[in-house]
Amino acid sequence: MCLPGKGKRMDENVIKVENLVKYFDGRCVLDDISFNVPQGCIYGLLGRNGAGKTTIIRILLGLEPATRGETSLLGRNSTKLPAKIRGKIGCVAEGHNLIQNYKVSRLIKLCKDLSLNWNDASFDHLMETFRLPRDRRIRDLSMGMRAQLNLALAMAIDPELLILDDPTLGLDTVARRQFLELAIDIIQQQGRTILFCSHILSDVERIAERIGILTAGKLVVDCSLEELKTRVKKLRIIFPESPPADLYMTDIINRQIQGREMAITVANWNRQKQAILETFKPSSCTEVPMSLEDIFIECTRPNPELIEAV
Amino acid sequence: MLTLIKREIRDHVIYFAGAVIFAGIIIGIAITPIFESRRHYRVLSGLGVALTITAIVIFSFFAMGVGQMYTDKNRKISAFLSTLPVSRSRILIARILTGTLAILTLIVPQVIVTIILLRLYAPPFPEYSGFIAEVFAGIFLAAFACYCIGLQAGWSSSSILSAMGGLGLACIIVSLILIKGFGLHIIVILLLFIIASLIRIRHLFTSTSL
Repeated sequence: MCLPGKGKRMDENVIKVENLVKYFDGRCVLDDISFNVPQGCIYGLLGRNGAGKTTIIRILLGLEPATRGETSLLGRNSTKLPAKIRGKIGCVAEGHNLIQNYKVSRLIKLCKDLSLNWNDASFDHLMETFRLPRDRRIRDLSMGMRAQLNLALAMAIDPELLILDDPTLGLDTVARRQFLELAIDIIQQQGRTILFCSHILSDVERIAERIGILTAGKLVVDCSLEELKTRVKKLRIIFPESPPADLYMTDIINRQIQGREMAITVANWNRQKQAILETFKPSSCTEVPMSLEDIFIECTRPNPELIEAV
Repeated sequence: MLTLIKREIRDHVIYFAGAVIFAGIIIGIAITPIFESRRHYRVLSGLGVALTITAIVIFSFFAMGVGQMYTDKNRKISAFLSTLPVSRSRILIARILTGTLAILTLIVPQVIVTIILLRLYAPPFPEYSGFIAEVFAGIFLAAFACYCIGLQAGWSSSSILSAMGGLGLACIIVSLILIKGFGLHIIVILLLFIIASLIRIRHLFTSTSL
């Protein structure tokens, strides 16, 4: 469920991506991507490494030009984001590209001087919570510390929109858990719009309300987490004789046959599809429970044209 | 803007230190003849040598341009700054203003010393004031042109070898002054070159991915 922010309408989209296409050296990395993130929503963008998650974020932030299509943040075109709008966006980038040769204190001062709105109390509280040293150089900090500093800097401006691009990448299990606990704490306190990219499904499942799954440059899933779990079904069907060659059913993501048994994963499962299946008179039909990880694995199989309709 | 300029100066303080040291050395060369057996008539020749050295030293501003852009690209400084309320144009303007300040750090003390020396030791010809203006405007513009070439080379080159192309162009700019001398024609040529370079740098910096 996406919650609207203070005084904002639910239909007000903070992030808009329309027919986004991106080519790198003649290779299509984003193929006609469209999605919206409404005010107050926590959107989890999933995809395998190299699926195009970071490219979408870089285009949204105006760091990378799009080949075609339009993107906007807080109602302004990404390519022409004015300082006033940038000041409302907090960003934790993949790999935490902070200025490596700066001391932590210098980087904090730079960010503070350049920001339009700096919450000293909130920032100092986070620095204390994370126990980050101010006298060390960024390059001397561990990956976990860099992630924490990056999050503290992003949160210090009280952002309306928070963009987290694989913030737990490279962190060990303990550091990742600690980072997420604090991130969830912060997120829940504020009720702001968040775009969270990751390939670690458990991270996304814990905080996201809406899910987008990118596969080979295509957005194959864009719906709420609950909806996703009800729409994608995995069925184990046993037929009296050998299974039929074709079930005459659309949106079959995956199909495996072994003897009289057929396992299928179907998107957009409904009564009509159930009725079609019953015409084949199967001996038994059982639903196999699917976690987000199972759905993700099914959706990211190299067969995108079948699951595009999800 | 001031924060961005301060950041650039602090990150590239070595070039400012170099400019101060070279300004000191060149001024030293210019005023040495005064202390050599009181041969005041040699002051003009000392100034000539100093100006020639300055024309060669400005070549080092190519390195500053390359340094600023290469460091930015390597450390992803603009990529980080662009996630803050700063536009790419402002980052570039701050960078160019810092380069201009470094050039002025080298040239302004020399202008002051030259004016004083000419007032004290040179015959009172009114042509001198116009000549000084042309010489220093030429030196400043040539330094700025070298700096602009450096900015372009630093941003668009992926290796030292490809930056050498820019180095060749900077050599041509410096030799243009050494061969043709100073004058209005050089000022016009350099101005046109600088305008074209600035347009190109702005396009390169604002349109490419960070």
